[in-house]
Amino acid sequence: MKKRNIELDIKEMKTGFGLMKDIKLSVGGISEKTADQQLGPTPFPSSTDLREWDMKLLERYKPFYMPFCDLCCLCTFGKCDLSDGKRGACGLNMEAQQSRIVLIACCIGAATHTAHGRHLVEDLIKKFGRKSALDVGGTNVEILAPIIQLVTGIKPRHLGDIEDILDYVEGEITQLLSSTHTGQEGSNIDFESKVLHAGTMDHVALEIADIAQISTFGFPKSDPEAALVDTGLGVVDSSKPVIMVVGHNVPPAIGIMDYMTEKDLSGQLEVCGLCCTAHDITRYDPKAKIVGPISWQLRFIRSGIPDVIVVDEQCIRADAFEEAKKIKAPVIASSSKNCLGLKDRTKDPTDEIVADLIQGKALGVLILDPDKVGEVAVRTSLGIAPKRKKFKNLPELDELILEAKRCTKCSECRRSCPNDMLIPEAIDAAAGGDLSLLNDLYDVCVGCGRCEEACPNDLDVHSFIVKAAEQKIKNEKFKTRSGRGAIQDVEIRKVGGPIVLGEIPGVIAHVGCANYPKGGEEVAEMIEEFAKRRYIILTSGCAAMSAGMHKNEDGKTVYESFPGDFDAGCVLNVGSCVSNSHIAGAAIKIASIFAKRNLNANYEEIADYILNRVGAVGISWGAMSQKAASIASGFWRLGIPVIVGPHGSKYRRMLLGRKDRDSDWEVYDARTGERDYVGPSPEHLFYAAETKEEAMVMMAKLCMRPNDTSRGRAMKLNHYIDLHKRYYGRMPDDIHLYVRRLSDVPITMKDEIVRILDQKEWKEKNIPDPTILPRMIRKKER
Amino acid sequence: MSMFEDIPVEVGVVYEGERIRKSDLHAELGGPNVEQKFELVRVKNDNEIKDQEIKIVGPDISEIEEGSSIPFGILIEVAGKQLEEELEGVIERRIHEYTNYIEGFMHLNQRYDIWCRVSKKSVKKGLESFEIIGKVLLRLFKNELPFIDSMQITFLTDKNKVGEIWEDAVKIYETRDARARKLTDNDVTEFYGCDLCQSFAPTHVCTITPQRYANCGAISWFDGRAASKIDPKGPIYKIEKGECIDPVKGEYSGINENAKKKSLGEINKVWLYTSFGYPHTSCGCFEAIAFYIPEVDGLGIVHRDFKERTVNGLPFSTMADSAAGGRQVDGFHGLSIEYMRSPKFLQVDGGWDRVAWIPKSVKERLKDFIPSEIINKIPTEEEVKNLDELKEFLKTNQHPVVGRWKEALPEVEIPTGEEISIEAPMPAIGIPTTGGGFKIILKGAKIQAKKVIIKAPKKGS
Repeated sequence: MKKRNIELDIKEMKTGFGLMKDIKLSVGGISEKTADQQLGPTPFPSSTDLREWDMKLLERYKPFYMPFCDLCCLCTFGKCDLSDGKRGACGLNMEAQQSRIVLIACCIGAATHTAHGRHLVEDLIKKFGRKSALDVGGTNVEILAPIIQLVTGIKPRHLGDIEDILDYVEGEITQLLSSTHTGQEGSNIDFESKVLHAGTMDHVALEIADIAQISTFGFPKSDPEAALVDTGLGVVDSSKPVIMVVGHNVPPAIGIMDYMTEKDLSGQLEVCGLCCTAHDITRYDPKAKIVGPISWQLRFIRSGIPDVIVVDEQCIRADAFEEAKKIKAPVIASSSKNCLGLKDRTKDPTDEIVADLIQGKALGVLILDPDKVGEVAVRTSLGIAPKRKKFKNLPELDELILEAKRCTKCSECRRSCPNDMLIPEAIDAAAGGDLSLLNDLYDVCVGCGRCEEACPNDLDVHSFIVKAAEQKIKNEKFKTRSGRGAIQDVEIRKVGGPIVLGEIPGVIAHVGCANYPKGGEEVAEMIEEFAKRRYIILTSGCAAMSAGMHKNEDGKTVYESFPGDFDAGCVLNVGSCVSNSHIAGAAIKIASIFAKRNLNANYEEIADYILNRVGAVGISWGAMSQKAASIASGFWRLGIPVIVGPHGSKYRRMLLGRKDRDSDWEVYDARTGERDYVGPSPEHLFYAAETKEEAMVMMAKLCMRPNDTSRGRAMKLNHYIDLHKRYYGRMPDDIHLYVRRLSDVPITMKDEIVRILDQKEWKEKNIPDPTILPRMIRKKER
Repeated sequence: MSMFEDIPVEVGVVYEGERIRKSDLHAELGGPNVEQKFELVRVKNDNEIKDQEIKIVGPDISEIEEGSSIPFGILIEVAGKQLEEELEGVIERRIHEYTNYIEGFMHLNQRYDIWCRVSKKSVKKGLESFEIIGKVLLRLFKNELPFIDSMQITFLTDKNKVGEIWEDAVKIYETRDARARKLTDNDVTEFYGCDLCQSFAPTHVCTITPQRYANCGAISWFDGRAASKIDPKGPIYKIEKGECIDPVKGEYSGINENAKKKSLGEINKVWLYTSFGYPHTSCGCFEAIAFYIPEVDGLGIVHRDFKERTVNGLPFSTMADSAAGGRQVDGFHGLSIEYMRSPKFLQVDGGWDRVAWIPKSVKERLKDFIPSEIINKIPTEEEVKNLDELKEFLKTNQHPVVGRWKEALPEVEIPTGEEISIEAPMPAIGIPTTGGGFKIILKGAKIQAKKVIIKAPKKGS
């Protein structure tokens, strides 16, 4: 922690109780303390402070490498071929190189959130002052920054308190990144430990960013009834000037809303967002709309609907400016991290910038002042909308058919498609006038545009798909519950009973990006299945929007079908990517709320508690980014397993447990100090599923924990077996590992399971007070 | 072969939360549209029961007019050596759980208020007769509750027959409730302990007696009794009461020994009926807490759903945090709403006479149980907003705690700016203090500090 040095020289001071002369006061740092705070063993940990804990995890969940690339080309010794056990010129082997790349990815992810947090906090301090109080849930949230408290030992109360914590995180990320330089770290396991540390830093940064914006911008404060927000391309009223905001840092978008309110323009313009800025702007003002996740960027721009495009940072297509030019929509870049080669006009007079943009003298500008962005965007859109007349970059039907006839059936498009879509067939049909196949592709297309890049004949394949789905797009009208932020302490208390009584089988979080193989519909289906099974479902980021962009048989989205509480059978959207901190935070708070474990700088003990007791699983069906990698790492270190979709295997390695090795699954009974076999619970920390069905079976399975009460375990096993039978057509082969006592057996399956137990020569086992930390063993008082 | 191979619809926990909507409704059994409906379990002698028999009195499922609501009754008669009338209610509540496992059968509420639906889809699949529902129930009950030796089930849909038994049933529920309320801790030789919460709060030891419901509000002494018979090695177990050491405080040697054993010596003494000294430990999922208000020497009560700040300025979440974690915290005490209906409710501390503040919704729920002479003297958030108003209200309304002030108050002076460590019966941990503030005294000329720590009293004080 950076010390705030205070030097005070007082020549003379007259006070009520006497006179003092020549007082020199120098203070290294000042901290406030309340009576109940005690500091745990690891305040502001460096990567090695928690290394021992990491090793425990990595020993059980061994990294399983799946090299995405056999070569290393990071220095001029290379390229080095690392296949077949070869080492590179620097001496590094394949395992270490893979984990090194993972660490680099996680550092990028963590740095991105940290930089986002820094940017945001600076903006907010400028606007609201350092003394602005942090508040994420009023009286229902006592622990407002669980991750920060757990990692640093500091309980921040004001905006200014988190600056020091940002300093710390920035320092750690630099240390971590430096270890990836040639000739630094040589052990893959140590790289992996650093990956976990990067994840922890990432989580701290997420929390900083979200609690800062919730507290100051008036976002929903832990509100289960946060507004239902219009979602989808079809909800945008294109008769009005439309401003498209895209990215992950909300102040410029808020500048737009504020300017509209100030000038009484609300209702006259449409402000609609993509990616996390969409979440955060609707948390600020639910009249704003969500267009969709990253996959919707290209299709939305080409539709010609946006009149002005405002980009901030992260997850923005690098060709956004190029695409915008094609529809004659000016672009305003607003972040130092994403200047797009545009001229910095921050200090220019607003009138001038607006005129340049409307007249087309400037096709885009860089403005590094969120409020100014607001004014320029609104005024420009009002001025330019009548001129543009929604000029779009999509072919007319006859053009499309004519173009499709030019296809030479080389199949390069399909080969380049990340999801191997049957594009050539669809184009062939289109050439014959049948657009139905192209129309079908719209539902599963991730909007990357690689097909167009690959086409040797320069066909605008993505545009064809969007055109073919024009009617469908008009009906793309959904509802997403606006991000509610934190989980209330009180809500956690309430579910304690139902969890131990076996009424709630687990907590499942759908998070991350939209690079899913078969469309967002799968996310919604998974959510619906588990919400019906009375799991607690959380969502965030692009996954949260995807979940909202599908209707069930009754014509309702998951947010309309299920309540937004943290409770059985509920579906709650925490918010944008940075709101993932509340998901980790909820797990952390359980330890404090039920067991009164100290949260301050007590990482190991709390992670041990979560690993052994909290039946939570994260799933990122379309994980794409480096940020997703660092978010996942933060969850692993806390003992929360993460499942990714098929593209997730490109993260280069999984963390897989071995259920065949009994000794891996022994824990201490904290009551006696004896070691007990508890079964592979949870079996894996990081797992890539090939299909939605595989993922669902795994989700149910990974909710099991050693501390489960018998009723809880019976319920969890019931869902696991039921899903396994449904999707694999048979009983799972490992039930006997999860039954500790006969009372663990689900009651409607007793006969069947008891027979299996007999075959496997099953024996009754102890249910311990589980821990993998020897120091947690409680000694009996003599 | 699975247990339900011959059943035409699925049977599984998965269907528990299933809702049957109007569009898929074959028929409604009981529910708000009919007056007479019930479910009833009776314990009988073995020779009175024809084991495995399922009788249907009135039209069967397939014979009911589609979309209609009809009177409905489920009568289950059981016999077994270990069975006793006290367990009827516990067995009865399983009907809800088990029938809901059946795909396409929905069961809501209990007793004389049941509301069931059968779905068209399931009838089409073959769920045409109550016979099938009976079979499922017989298998589940006998599998799960090994103390049932024989069992017969009657489904009634004939209006007159339902009416006949309904009248008896209502009387039986009343007698049962009256008996349960009359049962005191003195009347029984066993209490029950519950380990369920230990999975999250390892040092918490819950004791359940007839007059002190479990903190979570979910497990009564009867539930405990049934659970410990069903699975003697399970998380809910018998505690031999042992010797009664103090009948007023509610101290029993059996409870003390069990607490010592289960907490590994951390808790050695438990007083059941008080918030002070050695109160029952609190886990995390208690429904409400009793908290000491030193300024008026009374107790406040706040439940989980109360979203505002209480009269001492602290919200539920803050005080719950002081009480939780399986510790004995003097003056902060997790409890269930049901326990507040007990005559033993905080009897050592003065019971309701000591309660100085309570949320309005709790008062409303308990209005028949709060003694009439005190009920209007206890203010809620509507009458008072802070401690000054509270004092004034209590004084004006002559609340019994006012009588304690003359003797006690001058001594209840809370030091400020210092560590607070006062032995019982004054709260020692997390006590909300008034005043606060700090002093920094500078002497001499040169002070060098690597770090200055300013200790302030807890937030909200």
